[in-house]
Amino acid sequence: MDPIDKLTFILGGLPTTLAISILSFLLGFVIGIPLAFIRTYASKPFQNLVDGYEKVLRGVPEIVTMLFLYLGLGGIPVFGQPFANPFFAATFALGLRSGANQSQVFRGAIRGIGEEQMLSARSLGLSRLQAIIYVIAPQTFIIAAPGLGSEYALLVKDSAYAFILGVVEMMRQADTLRKITLDMVFPYTVAAVLYVLLTFPLATYLDVWGSRKKKQLGL
Amino acid sequence: MTDIVLECRNLRKIYGKIVAVKDVSLEIREGDIKLMFGPSGSGKSTLARCLAMLTTPTEGDVFLTGECLTRPGVDLNKARARIGFVFQHIWLFHHLTALGNVELALRHVLKSPKKEARERAMQALREVKMEEWANHYPAQLSGGQQQRVGIARALAKDPKIIILDEPTSALDPELTGEVIDTLRDLARKGTTMLVISHEMPFAREVATEMIFFDEGTIVERGPAERFFTNPSSERARKFMARLIKRTRRE
Repeated sequence: MDPIDKLTFILGGLPTTLAISILSFLLGFVIGIPLAFIRTYASKPFQNLVDGYEKVLRGVPEIVTMLFLYLGLGGIPVFGQPFANPFFAATFALGLRSGANQSQVFRGAIRGIGEEQMLSARSLGLSRLQAIIYVIAPQTFIIAAPGLGSEYALLVKDSAYAFILGVVEMMRQADTLRKITLDMVFPYTVAAVLYVLLTFPLATYLDVWGSRKKKQLGL
Repeated sequence: MTDIVLECRNLRKIYGKIVAVKDVSLEIREGDIKLMFGPSGSGKSTLARCLAMLTTPTEGDVFLTGECLTRPGVDLNKARARIGFVFQHIWLFHHLTALGNVELALRHVLKSPKKEARERAMQALREVKMEEWANHYPAQLSGGQQQRVGIARALAKDPKIIILDEPTSALDPELTGEVIDTLRDLARKGTTMLVISHEMPFAREVATEMIFFDEGTIVERGPAERFFTNPSSERARKFMARLIKRTRRE
């Protein structure tokens, strides 16, 4: 195998790595946004519920959640069946974890905006929900952008855990290449470089865009 | 006798153990320009916010054009839409342009169609002489310009009354003038207003009544001229003396 073939072999896992990262990011987004607003504006019992969720999912190692979903839930007939799919189980586990992280990122952003914007919106006659949608949320995204960038980078890296469930993604391909060629250095080096290339540009872009926008708007 | 626009009866607001507003009754009629002043921390802002139902009074009632707002089940969003409120620290929406700030409530509270909302918002910006700055973000405007947008934002909804809570006290003295000019224009048009302010020349010129507020209650109220010549309460006399001295220094 020449180096190009080896590289192509590892890149064969790229679409799956990206799919896990992007889908779990989106799931985390869908979970994180409402949790952040509940944690900020809802009544105490709901806040505690969100707090508990965040603590558990941030505290438990991703690999434990993954294996729990895959082997635990996956073993339950009918309802648990989607989790018997390793790709689904891995993505879902990361999405749940990312939801906890993104909730914190968004909550910090909401706090940064402050109660004044809410009061100002309410004084115009906007309902609480309208104020959140038209005033708080748009500013939240801008402030949260850098944090979201690092969260995405984290997910790309953590997608490598899916290898343990047997998902054929980039790490898995690199490891297989190692077994075939008995070269202990090249496959992992290539994988390392590829992971950096996947995480670095987007995270940096979001960081720069967010900071510039924040400065422009005086947030 | 003209109609009462906004009124409170025996209004009381308690924060923990602190009584911020003590049994205040006040009525504002159409065309009135009430100017409220008094030491900081005396509860003026709390009263203003209670009148706009931005905080719920602990006791007492608030009426907007005869409708009781302190009863349970009242649609407060609807009520707030009919009251304009201008904050001391302005609080424009950072992510929206001047036009966007003024348009927001028209679109989503009054549910005006897009084109109509835009026209009305531009008109409101014209009234505060800010139409040329319509597409600027708050961070690109000076404090005085921001506050004029704040006034346009409150004005655009065609409120029954505008409550202004120290609209110039967060501004540098050189920026105060342009905001006061804007308020003077509003006064000339007969806008019903409750203004908390210590701008005494302005008060003397436009106020239909002045209200001296201290320690959570109205100490003295009456025509502006009387406050400048011969206030009846000792506390008002002392406070006025200090204010006038300060104004002269400036």
